[in-house]
Amino acid sequence: MAFSNEQLERYSRHIILKEIGVKGQKRLSEGRVLIIGAGGLGAPAALYLAAAGIGVIGIADADAVDLSNLQRQVIHSTPDIGRLKVESAREKMEAINPEITVKAEPVFADSDNILDLISGYDFVIDGTDSFPAKFLINDACVIAKKPFSHAGIIRFRGQLMTCVPQEGPCYRCVFPAPPPPDAVPTCRQAGVIGAMGGVIGSLQAMEAVKFLTGAGQLLTGSMLTYDALSMEFRKIRIKARDGCEVCGKNPSITKPAGGAAPVCEGIAL
Amino acid sequence: MADYTIDAAVDITDVVCPVTFVKVKVAMDELKEGEVISVRMNDGEPVQNVPRSVKDEGHKILKLLDNGDGTYDLIVRKQGD
Amino acid sequence: MNIVVSGTLKEYPEGLSVSRLIEAENIETPMYVSVSVNDEFVKSGELDSTVLRGGDVVEFLYFMGGGRR
Repeated sequence: MAFSNEQLERYSRHIILKEIGVKGQKRLSEGRVLIIGAGGLGAPAALYLAAAGIGVIGIADADAVDLSNLQRQVIHSTPDIGRLKVESAREKMEAINPEITVKAEPVFADSDNILDLISGYDFVIDGTDSFPAKFLINDACVIAKKPFSHAGIIRFRGQLMTCVPQEGPCYRCVFPAPPPPDAVPTCRQAGVIGAMGGVIGSLQAMEAVKFLTGAGQLLTGSMLTYDALSMEFRKIRIKARDGCEVCGKNPSITKPAGGAAPVCEGIAL
Repeated sequence: MADYTIDAAVDITDVVCPVTFVKVKVAMDELKEGEVISVRMNDGEPVQNVPRSVKDEGHKILKLLDNGDGTYDLIVRKQGD
Repeated sequence: MNIVVSGTLKEYPEGLSVSRLIEAENIETPMYVSVSVNDEFVKSGELDSTVLRGGDVVEFLYFMGGGRR
């Protein structure tokens, strides 16, 4: 595939980079990334990946835009309230970059659809809010050997890790099982500073771009934590656990389980 | 005469920074290691910046020829892949 | 003894268990924090019996949801 003059101009700041170049931009154009959750994390990730010219971007979420989303979910606007988030997101992404294909999936990830959802993508971004969803995505990606980016945000803090199955630890190596419902505060009860999604979701997009182009080192084997109040980033080393329930030597989890219904309501997990 | 043969040529006199260098990068991407390209560019900003950028990428600049009409030909040998 | 807790050098008395450290550090949701000592995760059933030594590097990892909604 050859780039048109217009494409060369659109992607010029990428192509100039030694680590990306023409080859890297081609890989981005041929790349396929799935974003699960079109919220605080998914919004900036979707915008940057669309702008970067990722060939196919899937975005999965069954929710509609709510007024309380707009403080941080920058892909949605006030007139979008009530619309499906994935439709609102697709419109913005296509407006930024008409050259890409956006696949809107108006579903919540669950144990029945997750393997179908992630198949056909090179990289998955977990932009979900609930722990069952995060464990579901982790387990499915490990089982399907699909690289993905985990992230979480709350109050003034965020965390991020990249999992490349069989090459490093997974989310379950860090947290063996989800916490019981309401045992740990969620965004709705505890609040979150709007720009936190921008910081962490953008880092997820960064990992997707690095994965597709091969630039630099991925955030595997470490959890990056960010505290906005002290303005500290810390990279904490993580080792794979031999006894990990899904990526360990004798996994007890061999197929994705559990639902991923909305949890920030404080309702059952 | 010259101890090289030109394998390809690209004209970047019709574009401005940063597409100038982008076009050079795209053209060089098509070359094999060791092949030589002639890049026609305008005086001024392009001739100041493009040779430096090409050098930064690790390629070898063989010659910069002044065409006398406000354009230059930069002769570059591709290094690495 | 000196130990490194979340990147900061701190002084604690000898014989300190991980669960006492969790208390002393006022960890939020102490039941659900993952703790690593020198890059190895401490099993949740072994927090009481794991005794820290001088020079140990301790990290706390918290559940963070957030994002979609």
